[in-house]
Amino acid sequence: MNQPLTFTLAAAGLLLALPARAAVDFARDIQPIFAKHCYSCHGPEKQKSGLRLDIKAAAFAGGDAGKSIVLGKSAESRLVKFVSGADKENVMPPKGERLGATQVALIKEWIDAGAVWPDSASASGATKSAHWSFQPIQRPIVPQIKNSKATVRNPIDAFVLARLEKEKLAHAPEGDRYTLIRRLSLDLTGLPPRPEEVAEFVNDSRADAYERLADRLLASPHFGERWGRHWLDIARYADSDGYEKDRTRPFAFIYRDWVINAINRDLPFDQFSIEQLAGDLLPDATHEQRIATGLHRQTLTNTEGGVDQEEFRCKATVDRVNTTATAWLGLTMGCTECHSHKYDPLTQREYYQFFAFFNNASEKNLPSPQAAESASYNKLKGAWEAEQSKLKSAFDGYVKNELPRKQAEWEKQAQPSARWTVLEPKKAAASNGAELKTQSDKSILVGGPNPATATYTIEATTDLKTITGFRLETLVGDSTNKNVGRTKNGNFVLSEFSVKIAGADGERTVALRDAVADFHQERSGKGYPAAAAIDGDLKTGWAVIPQTNRAHTIIFHIREPLTLSAGERLTITIDQQHGTEHTLAHFRIAATSEAGPLRPDTIPALIAEVLRTPTAQRKPEQTQTLVKYFRESGDTDAAKLQTQLDEHAKKQPKPPETFAATISEEPKARETRIHIRGNFLTKGDTAQPGTPAVLHPFKPRNARADRLDLARWLFEPANPLTARVAVNHVWKTLFGRGLVLTVDDFGMRGEKPSHAELLDWLASTFAAPADALAKMPGAQPNLGWSRKALIKLIVTSATYRQESRAHPELAQRDPNNVLLARQNRLRLEAEAVRDSYLTASGLLNPAIGGPSIRPALPADIAALGYANSVKWTESAGNEKYRRGLYIFFQRTVPYPMLMTFDSPDSNALCARRERSNTPLQALTLLNDSSFFECAQTLGKIAHTENSGTLEEKLKRIFQRCLARSPMPSELARLKQLYAAQLQLAQANPEAAAKICGTDKKDQPGLAEQATLIALSRVLLNLDEFITRE
Amino acid sequence: MIMENRPELSPSEIAQLTRRDFLATSTTGLGTLAFASMLEQNGLLAADAQRSDPLVPRPPHFAAKAKNCILIYFEGAPSHIDLFDPKPKLNELNGQKLPDSMLEKVRFAFIKKEGVRLMGSPRKFQKHGQCGMELSDLLPHLGSVADDLCLIRSMHTDQFNHHPGQLMMNCGVPLFGRPTMGSWLNYALGSESKNLPGYVVLTAGRGSSAGASAWTSGFLPSNYAGVLFRNQGDPVLNLGNPAGITPAMQHLGIDAIGDLNRLRHQYVADPEIAARIGAYELAGRMQTAAPELMDLSKESQATLDAYGLNRKEPNLKAERGGGAGQYRNFARSCLHARRMVERGVRFVTVLHASWDHHSNLNNELTYNTGMADQPIAALIKDLKQRGLLDSTLVVWASEFGRTPLGENRGGSTNVTGRDHHPFAFSMWMAGGGVKGGQVYGATDEIGWNITKDPVHVNDLHATILHQFGLNHEKLTYRFQGRDFRLTDVAGKVIPKLIA
Repeated sequence: MNQPLTFTLAAAGLLLALPARAAVDFARDIQPIFAKHCYSCHGPEKQKSGLRLDIKAAAFAGGDAGKSIVLGKSAESRLVKFVSGADKENVMPPKGERLGATQVALIKEWIDAGAVWPDSASASGATKSAHWSFQPIQRPIVPQIKNSKATVRNPIDAFVLARLEKEKLAHAPEGDRYTLIRRLSLDLTGLPPRPEEVAEFVNDSRADAYERLADRLLASPHFGERWGRHWLDIARYADSDGYEKDRTRPFAFIYRDWVINAINRDLPFDQFSIEQLAGDLLPDATHEQRIATGLHRQTLTNTEGGVDQEEFRCKATVDRVNTTATAWLGLTMGCTECHSHKYDPLTQREYYQFFAFFNNASEKNLPSPQAAESASYNKLKGAWEAEQSKLKSAFDGYVKNELPRKQAEWEKQAQPSARWTVLEPKKAAASNGAELKTQSDKSILVGGPNPATATYTIEATTDLKTITGFRLETLVGDSTNKNVGRTKNGNFVLSEFSVKIAGADGERTVALRDAVADFHQERSGKGYPAAAAIDGDLKTGWAVIPQTNRAHTIIFHIREPLTLSAGERLTITIDQQHGTEHTLAHFRIAATSEAGPLRPDTIPALIAEVLRTPTAQRKPEQTQTLVKYFRESGDTDAAKLQTQLDEHAKKQPKPPETFAATISEEPKARETRIHIRGNFLTKGDTAQPGTPAVLHPFKPRNARADRLDLARWLFEPANPLTARVAVNHVWKTLFGRGLVLTVDDFGMRGEKPSHAELLDWLASTFAAPADALAKMPGAQPNLGWSRKALIKLIVTSATYRQESRAHPELAQRDPNNVLLARQNRLRLEAEAVRDSYLTASGLLNPAIGGPSIRPALPADIAALGYANSVKWTESAGNEKYRRGLYIFFQRTVPYPMLMTFDSPDSNALCARRERSNTPLQALTLLNDSSFFECAQTLGKIAHTENSGTLEEKLKRIFQRCLARSPMPSELARLKQLYAAQLQLAQANPEAAAKICGTDKKDQPGLAEQATLIALSRVLLNLDEFITRE
Repeated sequence: MIMENRPELSPSEIAQLTRRDFLATSTTGLGTLAFASMLEQNGLLAADAQRSDPLVPRPPHFAAKAKNCILIYFEGAPSHIDLFDPKPKLNELNGQKLPDSMLEKVRFAFIKKEGVRLMGSPRKFQKHGQCGMELSDLLPHLGSVADDLCLIRSMHTDQFNHHPGQLMMNCGVPLFGRPTMGSWLNYALGSESKNLPGYVVLTAGRGSSAGASAWTSGFLPSNYAGVLFRNQGDPVLNLGNPAGITPAMQHLGIDAIGDLNRLRHQYVADPEIAARIGAYELAGRMQTAAPELMDLSKESQATLDAYGLNRKEPNLKAERGGGAGQYRNFARSCLHARRMVERGVRFVTVLHASWDHHSNLNNELTYNTGMADQPIAALIKDLKQRGLLDSTLVVWASEFGRTPLGENRGGSTNVTGRDHHPFAFSMWMAGGGVKGGQVYGATDEIGWNITKDPVHVNDLHATILHQFGLNHEKLTYRFQGRDFRLTDVAGKVIPKLIA
C-alpha cells in the first residue's frame, strides 16, 4: 500500500518542474502516448472493456466500467489510476512498456486542465469494420451460365450454377413428381400429401403444374401453422412460466394464433416484426397489434419462493435483448451482457443502450375474450340480470308493503340494554411498530407497520364512579378498513384482555370474569371463545372467523363492582400473541355501572339511543338509521330476501378471464445503468437507448428513443443485417442448411456465406422498396418483404427442385452439399413427424388455432414437475389428434416425444434445430401408444377396403405413407413380412386380437387385420417416412 | 416385454428364417443381383454408421482415472451444519443475533432480517474411520466409509434460488440451454455401452424444481441427453411393445424396417439412414437389456439387505420426503446405478427431491437421511468390493447449503427450519481417483463463511472433468459463435482433492 504514496510524491516533484513548459497540447503530448501504449487494445481494431481512445467521443464516453476520463479531475479518472499503477488490480498497459512518470504527469495535467481535445485531432470517426456482414447489401449482377443445357428457372439457379460450373459440377436432375409433391407439401404445410393429391399432381400435364401446386400450398391455412411453428422457435413460445413453479399460461395460444394468422395473411415481414417488437407503440395501435407484442412475453417467469423480482425482471429484459439481436441481426449480442464482445465490434455499453429500449417495457395482460367465450358470457349475463330484477322487485315490494308494520311491532318489545360509557383514551401505545390513533368517536384506529404480534396499551379516564363491566367493540370502517383484524383474512386473536387501575395509592389489577361475546370462531377442539381472552393463557384467545367483516362486541364482568377514586386512571392491555398479524384493526372500549348480568349488546349503541328516544322526538336521520337497522338485522323475512339477493349477486357470471400477454411502455422511464459484469446489483454508468455504432445510423422520432424507433431502424434500407438474416432463415428451412451455416451468428465467429452474392441478391429482392427496385437492371418483381413471395421464388427454382440422392463422387467432394449440386434429405421436425402419422392414418384433426391440447402422457412423467404441480389431463375426443404445434408445452415437463425429436426447450431462442438420430426415437415411433394407434387405424383401413389383391392393398398403404409406389424389391420384402407376420398372428389369436384393440379373438379375419397393422407399423417406421426427401 | 406362453419360433429363428427366405427368393421379382449389391452396400453402411454414430467411444485428453460417474443429487439443499460441518459454537450462540455488519449486504430468500436469530443444531457429531472424519449422527452408514470420502466443507455457489442453483450445479452456469455434466462427458468420451444409453437418470421422491433441465443436453445434440428410467411401468418410456406385439413380431418388424431402410440407403446413399438402422438395432437391444438391467431377482439377498431395499419406513411427520415407498425406491436406484456402471453406462444421475427444509427440519432431515444413508454407503462398499470404485466417481451434491440462522418467514416466531445459503456448503466425492479420507476446506465458527480453501462450483466441475482425463478448458463446443465449456469462463482443478 506504500506505492501510491511514493508515486504521488514523485509525481509532485515532477510537477514542480513543469511550469516552465507550455500548456499540455493534446496532439503533441497526449495522443502519441495513447498511440504507443493504448491503441493496440483500445483503438480501431480492438476495444477491450469497451474502451476506445482514438476517437474523442468514445474516449470521453468511457468503457464498460464507466468513465475513464473525468474532466478536470485526474484523481477520479480511471485512466490515471490504471496507468500510474495506483490500482494494483488493474495496471495498464498489462503487457509491454509502462508509462514513465513524466507521461503520467502529462496526462494528469491534461485532464486537470479540462482534457482539451481538438476535433482536428480525432481519428477517422465512426467505428468501421471490414467484416462482410456489416457491409451494405449490394445488388449483384445475375451471372450468365455457360452450359446451355442447365435449367435456369430464376436467378437463384444462375448464382448456384455459376458456382457449380467453377467446380465443374452441375445440378442433379429434377426430383420426380412424387418426391416433389411430398417435399413441397411437407415444406410448406408440414403435412404429407394425401394419395388423391399426389395423383392429381402427377397427372397434371399443364406446364405450370408445379407452380400451381406451390400456389395452392401457399394458400393453405396449414401454411401458417408450419411457418408459424418455425417462428415460434425463435419466439421461445411455451405454455408455462418455466423455473421451479412453472405455472401454466392458459392463454399463451392467443399469441400463437396471432403468428399463424399473420403468416397466413402474409403480413409483410417488416410489419410482422415491427408489430411484435413495438405494436403497442404504433399510432392507434389495434388490439391485434398489441397481441403481437406477446413475442417478448414468452420470457421465463420465476415465481419460486423468495426470489428477487428485480433480478428476474432484468433476466427477462436480457432475454428480450438477446433474442431481438439474434433473431433480426444475427448477432450474438448476449456475449456483451457482462463485457465487451471478444470478437465482434460490440461493446458492453452498447449492450445496455440496446437494453434501455426494453428496460422500459411493462408486462400488461390485455383482456382478450375469444368470440365463443363472449357469446356464452353474454347469454349467461342476460339470464342472470333477469333473475336479479325479479328478486329485486320482490325485495322492494316487501320493504314497502310489509316492513313498516313489522318494525312497529318490533319496536314495542325491543329492549335497549345497559348504558355504556365510552372511555376517554389519554394514551394509546402499541408494541412492534403498530401505530394507534384515537378518533373523534373515541375509538382507536390501528395503522402503520403490520407486525406479527402486538400488545396495545390504552390509558383512559372515565366519569363513572363505579364500574361493573367493560366492553370491547371491534369495529369495521370504510373501504380501507373492511375487516376487524389486520391479518390477510381479516381476523384477529385477542389473547388476553386485562385492566389495571393506577392512582395515588399505587396500582391494582381488576379481576375480570364471565367474558361473553356476540360471536366467536368455532374450530375443532376448543375454538376461540370469549372466555379464552381472560384465561391467563397467551396461547388461547377470542377470534371471529368467518364474521371478520362486521363489528363485534365482547363483555367482561368484574368480580366486585369497582369504585374509582378521583384521578385514578385505567390501563387496559390488549395482548395479541397469536402471530402472523392476527391483531385488531379498530376498536373502542366502554364501561358501565349497571348491574349485571351484562349482555353483549346486539343492538348497537347508536340504535339503542334511538330506541330510547320517543318516536315523536326522533330526528329524521335517526328514523332512517332505525329503518335500515331493522331491515338489515332485525327482520328475518327481509334478511331472507336480502340473502337471496346477496346469494344471487355471488352468482354473477364473470367476464371471460382470457387475456393476452402483451408488452406496453412504462409511463415513467426506468433509468438504465450498465450492469458491471452482468450483475444487476452492481450498477455502472447510465445508458440511453441506442444501437451499435458499427451499424447504420439510428434516428429516433423524439428525444427519448423507444422500441418503435428500434423496430423501424431494423428495417431501414441501410441495415446490412436484417434482410440477410431473414432470407437465410427461410433458405435454411427449405434446404436444411443456411447460405450462412450459422444462422444465429453473422459475426466474426460465424461461418462466411457459401454463396455471398446469392444471399445479397435474395436479401435485396426480399427487402428493397418498390422504387429502388424498379431502378435496378433486370429487376425482379418487388417482394416487399412478402414471406410467401420469397418462399415461392425459392421453391420454384431448379435448385430447390433437384433430387436429393447423393452420388458417391459428390459425397466425396462436397459431403455437406454446400455447393447445392442436389437437394438435401432432412429428417422431419418433431411436429411434422407426429402430423405425418396422423395424416397417413387419417386421424388428424385439422382444426386451426385455439388453446393447446394434451395428448396421452404417463402419469409418472407428468409427476416429474415440481412437487407434483403439473396437471396433465388428456384432451377429450378428437382434440388429441390435433397437430403437434398445439401440444401444451410445459417447460419443466416437456412432452417427451417432442424432446426426443429435438424440439427446442423453449427457454431461449432457437434458430436452428438439431436433427438427431437416436434409439429413443426408434422406441417412440415403434411403441408410443399414439403412434401405434395410427398404425392400428391404417391397418384397419387397409383391411376394411376389401377390394383388391394383397399386393394392391400393400401398395395402397405404401402410397398413403410415402406418396409413391413401392419398388419391386420393396414390395417383395413387404410380402415376405406379411407372410411371416400372418403366420405368427394366426398362431396367436389372443395377440392378434390385442393388436386390433379388441378382446373378441374369434372375429373372422383378425389375423389378417393384425398383420396389416404390423405392416403399417413397419412402413410408418421407415427412415423415408420421417424424412423429407 | 413379457414372453407369451405360445408355441412359436424364437425371435432369432424367425429372423433367420425370413431373412434367408427373403434373400433366396427370386420369383418375387427381386433379382439376386439386387441383393448382391445390397450386401455390398452393407460394408458402406457400416462405415456410414461408424461415421455418424455420435456415441462411439473416444479417448480423453490425457490418461483418465475415472470412467463412470454416479451423481447423487439432492434437490432442495440439505443442511450442511446438520450433516457434514459440526459447529459447537453455533449451538452456544443459539438464539442470538448476528452482527448487523454480517447481515447488511446479504440477500435471503425468506428470512426477515429483523429479529432473526442463530439456530443451533440438535445433531451429535462423531468421528469416523481412520481419518477421524466428523459426521452427523444422521449418517452412521456413511461414517463406515469415511475413509473413502473426500468431504468438501468449503463449496460455494452464485445462486440462492433453487432452479438457478440447480442449473449452476448441473450445467456450470445458472442459464437455460446449456448441457449438463453427464451430457458433456458423453459428448467428450462417447458411450461404452452397446445396449444402453450412456447417460441415465433415476428418480425417487416427488418432482423436482429443475424438471427435465436437470438432464438436458442443452445445445449439444439430444444423443447426449439423459434418458429417464422410470420407477413404474416400462423402465424407459415406450420400451415395451404395444399390446399384442410379441417379441417375435417385434423382431420381424425391426428386421423388415432395417431391410427396407437398406434398400433406401442403396438408392439415396444418405449416411443418416445407416445411423437410423443402427438406432433401431440399439433400440431392439435396449428392449432386452433395460429390463434385464432393472431386474434385481439375480441379486443376492445379502446385497438387497445391504442396500436396504426392504427397510421399514419410519413413522415421521415428513411431508416433503415424497410419500410411502421412497426408501425402497431410493435403495433400488442406488443398486441400479451400480448395475448400470457395470454395463458401461457413463453417467448415472440419482435424483431425489426435496431437501428444502424451511421448516420441520429435524423430522424431514431425519426422514431423508434415513432413506439415503444406508443405500449410499452400501453402494460405495459394493463398488469397492467389485473393484469398480477406482474407476467410478460417486458424487453427493446439491445446489447450496442452509443458513445457520433459523428461518423466521413472515416474522414467525415458530422457527423450525433454515433458509437458503449459497456462501458455504458441504458435499463429498468418493472413488474415481479422488483422495478419500480427507476433509477439504473449512467454514467459520457458525458455518456462514468459508475460512479455508474455497471450492467454487466451476472448480468442482474442472476437477471432475480432470478425473475423466479431460482438460476443462479444452472440452468445448462451438455454439452461436462461442466455444462453450462446462466451466464457463472460470474453474480450476484442485490438486488436493485428487489421490
